[in-house]
Amino acid sequence: MRRKIAMILCATMVTTLFAGCGSGTENTVATSTEEGKEETSANEGEVVSIWHDGDEAIMKVIEDQVNEELSDDNITVKFEKKSGLTDQIKLYGNDAESGPDMYMYAHDSLGTFVEMGVLSPITDVVDESVYADMLPMTQEAGNYKGEQYLLPVYFETLLFMYNKDLWEGEVPSTTEDLYAYMQEHTDADAGTYAVVNQHSTAYNVSPFINGFGGYIIDEDANPGLTDEKTKEAIEYNKKFAELQADGDYNTVTTLFNEGKAAAIVGGPWLISGIKDAGINLGIKSLSDFTLPNGNSLAPYSGIQGVGVMKHAAEEKKDAVAKVLTAISDPEVGIALAKEASCAPANQKAYEDEAVKSDEMIAAMERTAETAEPMPNIPEMSVMWGPAESLLAAVNKSGDDLDAAAEQYQKEAEAAITDMQ
Amino acid sequence: MLCAPLFRDGVNSMKNRQKIRPWTYSLPALILIGIIVVFPILYTGYISLTNMNLYHWDDYHIIGLENFARALTKVDSGFLGALATTILWTVLNMVIQVVLAFFIALGLNVKGLKLSRFYKTLLMFPWAMPAYISILLWRVGMYNTEFGFLNKVLAALGFEKMNFLSENVPAFISCMVLNLWMALPFMIMMMDSALQSVDKSYYESAKLDGAGFWKQTWYITVPAIRPILIPSVIMTTFTTFKQFDIVYLLTMQKGSLSGATLQTIITYAHQNAFVSNNYGLSSAVSIVIFGFIILFSLFTNRGVKEEA
Amino acid sequence: MRTKKIKHMTGLTILNLFFLILCFLTLIPILYAVSLSLSNGSSGLSSGVSLWPKDATMKNYVAILTEEPFLLWLKNSVILSVGTMILAMGTAITAAYAFSRYRFKGRSGVLKMLLILNAFPQILSMFAIFRLFKTFHLLNSYIGLIIVYAGSMCIFSIWNMKGYFDTIPVEIEEAARIDGASSGQLLIKVVLPLARPAIIVTAVMVLIFVWNEYLFSTTFMMNADSYTLAAGLYQLQSGDYSRSWPLFSAAAILVSIPILIVFFCIQKYMVSGLTAGGVKG
Repeated sequence: MRRKIAMILCATMVTTLFAGCGSGTENTVATSTEEGKEETSANEGEVVSIWHDGDEAIMKVIEDQVNEELSDDNITVKFEKKSGLTDQIKLYGNDAESGPDMYMYAHDSLGTFVEMGVLSPITDVVDESVYADMLPMTQEAGNYKGEQYLLPVYFETLLFMYNKDLWEGEVPSTTEDLYAYMQEHTDADAGTYAVVNQHSTAYNVSPFINGFGGYIIDEDANPGLTDEKTKEAIEYNKKFAELQADGDYNTVTTLFNEGKAAAIVGGPWLISGIKDAGINLGIKSLSDFTLPNGNSLAPYSGIQGVGVMKHAAEEKKDAVAKVLTAISDPEVGIALAKEASCAPANQKAYEDEAVKSDEMIAAMERTAETAEPMPNIPEMSVMWGPAESLLAAVNKSGDDLDAAAEQYQKEAEAAITDMQ
Repeated sequence: MLCAPLFRDGVNSMKNRQKIRPWTYSLPALILIGIIVVFPILYTGYISLTNMNLYHWDDYHIIGLENFARALTKVDSGFLGALATTILWTVLNMVIQVVLAFFIALGLNVKGLKLSRFYKTLLMFPWAMPAYISILLWRVGMYNTEFGFLNKVLAALGFEKMNFLSENVPAFISCMVLNLWMALPFMIMMMDSALQSVDKSYYESAKLDGAGFWKQTWYITVPAIRPILIPSVIMTTFTTFKQFDIVYLLTMQKGSLSGATLQTIITYAHQNAFVSNNYGLSSAVSIVIFGFIILFSLFTNRGVKEEA
Repeated sequence: MRTKKIKHMTGLTILNLFFLILCFLTLIPILYAVSLSLSNGSSGLSSGVSLWPKDATMKNYVAILTEEPFLLWLKNSVILSVGTMILAMGTAITAAYAFSRYRFKGRSGVLKMLLILNAFPQILSMFAIFRLFKTFHLLNSYIGLIIVYAGSMCIFSIWNMKGYFDTIPVEIEEAARIDGASSGQLLIKVVLPLARPAIIVTAVMVLIFVWNEYLFSTTFMMNADSYTLAAGLYQLQSGDYSRSWPLFSAAAILVSIPILIVFFCIQKYMVSGLTAGGVKG
């Protein structure tokens, strides 16, 4: 009995405490935001916030460029970095008060956000012509269930990067020749390698999987880990993996930057580190390597695009439309290419001389022809785990491929069922 | 509330106050706990009865016990394996931790050890670092196959390089070493403060009786600090039981899977329910796991009973 | 007598040696971080065996202190830690005292309950607390975070201090009570000084918890300027692809140092009033 009374007492205290705290802070929060708003309306006009979880230097380039273009319209774009963006959008996606107006992120989480009901198609705000100049592959990446949700800004994909001072002779153009070169030039005991790759990361094995015609997940959300072609690709990757060190990101990049690996399969995010290390860098598109079956390597590509939150599409329609139009300007792409070594999504940006002559960006544009955008269905988010577990089991723990594929296929199927 | 005047009239009112006072003393704390600990558990219970998932993010409704039926299917061999691993993990960690910390703290309290303050401060360093930083440092700085310190030492001694995290047994030990590294400072500090409370005069009379170091330790020190330490040991046991960061960040972080398939029940739940964005289901799984933790706590209940 | 002294001295020397080795072993990962933080390149990792970089530089420390709002984050960390410490200790000390000294119905039940409640993984609570705080407009406010932190540490604090309170002989209090002390005075003037080590240890625990917490801080605070040190650091370097190891390690060392200073300073207060005062139980 007494415990019950105590419980009731607790409950009432909790509510009163909350009422007290709640009203108190409510006031302060309200006044502070009001002040903020007043300030902005007086000086800067409308603010459009864009959340991202990327490289702040890259976002700064876009922000500066867009704000310059919008200076006459009294609109300011503010990029805010949020670690763990997916989780943050789950919490704040529908929150007009403290959440973002737009977000910029890789396209593979698009389906998740759309199904959650936090995004509006960009066609609600702007005309199709705004993204008509974007590379077809990037447009496709931002399209979910027939609607365009993302305005592509730049894209990333894997490249073959080599140290010109270490590589002997020409870089081969078939994977078999590459393997032969690796066999000759790898000495794991001495810690020197011919080629390193994050060989147990699904993204980095995608050139093989897609090239062999396999898939991690198909359009109808069926996992493809037990697909014969996927398994063939994993088997093929394994023989490379044996000559590629541990495959952990930190390990492989350090090996390459220290000159202990002659080549690395990696993305444009490695460039700044490689430049700092003073490596004489050469770049070859993965599309220029031919597999034994005659296909080219076909890496996944990740498209960084901007999406619009539902509330912003309704309440800030005009401002958002202007921001999207400004971001789609080829000048943004050119600035990204020049200042941040990003491959712009806008094809017109490639007409610029400086962009055209950049070896890495040219290689990326070339890879865009065979690259496949990562699937953007929500089910993809649960596929990374099983796919990488499979790769790690085969490459690192030496498990039997068929059994492991069977096991992780089941795990993936269960995870997909769990989503419903 | 604290300074209620002490009336001296009437045994009855005195008695009532004696009944109410402990509650008034503990009420603020209980409210705080009610908000931050109890409410979330109740809320998780509520969500577990709904169909809140990716496709019903804002328009979820109560669907009954369906999620629990699904959650219980997850209590399969994989789960039981994870449970066994977790128990082994907890027991090993706790035993080593308590024994090591005890002797280190004893050493630190030896009379005449002038530098003990300095040693204590240095030994606390691992604790002063945010956990995710420590784990990253160990993964890349210690265990890495090419550049890790341990492998450099192995190589310098003429041994072969070793991959510490690719198979389950070495990975388990590696995780345990890291956990001990991270958790020992706290235990040492607890032991140290407990040792401060032991009345030194006991030792003198024991010495007169001719008791040696081990006897003094066993018959004076241990009984004296036991009641102080039991709470923190129990607390740490729970923390160890639900440890997630170490195993997850060391071996199974996305993009840097190490190859080991070590699972504790929390990582198992994470992998099997939480990645799916199905809040209803994962809440049900949480409640089921919570049930297991309560069961587990019944084992440790003996220590609690003596105390409470 | 002399041989005893010599024995004692050699014992101390061995003990010192033992602790020096132990400290060194413990500090290897930290030394590794220090060496990284002093290195010049951007990757910092290297295959050399040494624990000291070839061309040491302080530039990473300078960068953290000048290019990031480090001092702002430090201030936020201090505000949150102190606020949490006041709220958590203020509520927990009285509760621990009540659970230790009074025998009332429900006492052992509540105590056990608290223990079991504490077993619920905190990370699972985040979503519920988020919803609750959103309703009561406690998001993006220090008060909200302080409530979260204090609530998270409350059970631990109660249990931890209760254990120590139990060892303080009731007779001391009774003597004071006879001298006419009220129960509030008793708590402040008699019990608190006696339980000083436990209170300090618990307070340090709370401090370190708040100092190193980043998940709630990055989720509940909307503006990077109101982050704590750990949160700012997490935000800065959370991704593998964007991490600059030297910067990251420098920041990690800088975050830890205030805690170590606090720890070094409080040690002399950790001697119990009980043993120091010479009162026999």
